[in-house]
Amino acid sequence: MSAQRRRAIALLALTSIILVTLDLQQSGSTSLVRSIFSTVFRPVEGVARIVTRPVGNVWNGITNYNEVVDENDLLREKIAQQEGAAVAAAASVRLAQELLALNGLPTLAGINSVSAQVIGDAPSNYSQTVEINQGSESGIKVGMPVLNAAGLVGKVTKVFANRAVVMLVTDPEYALSVKVVNTPEALGPTAVNDPDAASVSSSSTTTTTTTTIAPSANIPGFTPGSNVTPSSSPGVSVSISVPSLTIPASSALGVRETGILEGRGPSRVPIVRFIDPEQRFGTVLAGTPIVTAGGSLSLAPPDIVVGKVSRVISRLGTAGPVLEIELVADLSNLSFVRILLYQPITESTTP
Amino acid sequence: MIDRLLPIVASRWTRLVLVGLVVLGLQTTLFTDVRPFGVVAQLMLLLAVAAGVTYGFEVGAIAGLTLGFMYDCVLNTPLGLCSLVFGGAAAAAGALQFFIREPSWWLKIAAIVGTTFVAELVFPFALTMVGIGGWVRPRMIFVALGVTTINAIASPLALIVSRWTLKVSLGN
Repeated sequence: MSAQRRRAIALLALTSIILVTLDLQQSGSTSLVRSIFSTVFRPVEGVARIVTRPVGNVWNGITNYNEVVDENDLLREKIAQQEGAAVAAAASVRLAQELLALNGLPTLAGINSVSAQVIGDAPSNYSQTVEINQGSESGIKVGMPVLNAAGLVGKVTKVFANRAVVMLVTDPEYALSVKVVNTPEALGPTAVNDPDAASVSSSSTTTTTTTTIAPSANIPGFTPGSNVTPSSSPGVSVSISVPSLTIPASSALGVRETGILEGRGPSRVPIVRFIDPEQRFGTVLAGTPIVTAGGSLSLAPPDIVVGKVSRVISRLGTAGPVLEIELVADLSNLSFVRILLYQPITESTTP
Repeated sequence: MIDRLLPIVASRWTRLVLVGLVVLGLQTTLFTDVRPFGVVAQLMLLLAVAAGVTYGFEVGAIAGLTLGFMYDCVLNTPLGLCSLVFGGAAAAAGALQFFIREPSWWLKIAAIVGTTFVAELVFPFALTMVGIGGWVRPRMIFVALGVTTINAIASPLALIVSRWTLKVSLGN
């Protein structure tokens, strides 16, 4: 009996080692094993969830009551502050999407998405994942980006028929190409809304008319420009008082640089590395926004908001700075998420 | 045919898988919400180690490998990794019987505490060994202490459950 048991131990240990090897090679057989186990385990988990929900609620009620009350007060205040801004922001987003669509550029609005509820956290201390209640039946595939109302949350790493596992941005295995949208330090003296600039100046000595328009408000990065239009009749001076488009000076536009966003586990903020330290990009300051870079190989489309720079760690030489990122999405309190049914061009064209 | 199937269905290993499924159900639902000391309790590890302490090295190793494999199936980490760690931990816990023939209850709990702590420390290193870095940090000591404390509190119940689950015959 003892020899038989020892053989069983050896067999099980060997199987485990083989499975680890196969799984690291992303073999289909390990996915099949997980899928079969999931089918068997799902009813048990469903019953356990129903039975234990009251216990979990009691625990959360006892341990988090004061925090929930404080958070509620804070959120009420934030909602009041943001209600007005949201209307203006929505209008701007709509306008931006229309402009992008007019120019044939990809927008998030053009990508189908599926909403899902977060039904469970990682059952381990050594993975940063959540489980959602939508799966392959809703068109979800491995690698698709997951967002919430605030911004990027993570990516789908495992898909079952009607549930999926989402790896959060904070997981050490997570990496994504992102853009750092830096604003140049010096905007130039014309960025100030000078009342004198509002006056219209005309010249009648040449065959062209020059009209200078002042901006209606101070927009960082955008300077009052000049529209030079050919005059219909030579030598005639034309005064135009209607505001027209201003062209921002190229040196004052936001400069974009790509880097790689990497998670670092719970209680540590993600970082962006491999930023080009070239002079043109300027110095990255705290508060600089970070958005997804997109591209033919990236798993996420461009311009999904990820977060903002919270700290810049300078490094000597050509290594470039390391940026610590404050995520816009609160990953500790996820309830509903949106999965973008997006696949990079390189994958979607594959038969 | 039924005569052949019945012993398999009634065997301690079938019971272990069924109890393991229930415990895994608790692990993936209740204990993802309820996080004492801010860490996720490791019920599967506790059950495996308790089996080792109760029934010795061999039974513990098989129980650990089986329960670890079940746990692997719901995790994002490579399949088989928890199986190896849990199997090793349960076998180590079972080694207690080599040194003390009939350990007292507090010695069993001490063995559970010790092996749990070591297993929780070994797991991030095992992850690093297979190429999943980023988990070997000072936080893992805090996690190991948290899990060990929870397992110490829950160990009397785990010993009872493992004793019943792996009993050779329920009639005895």
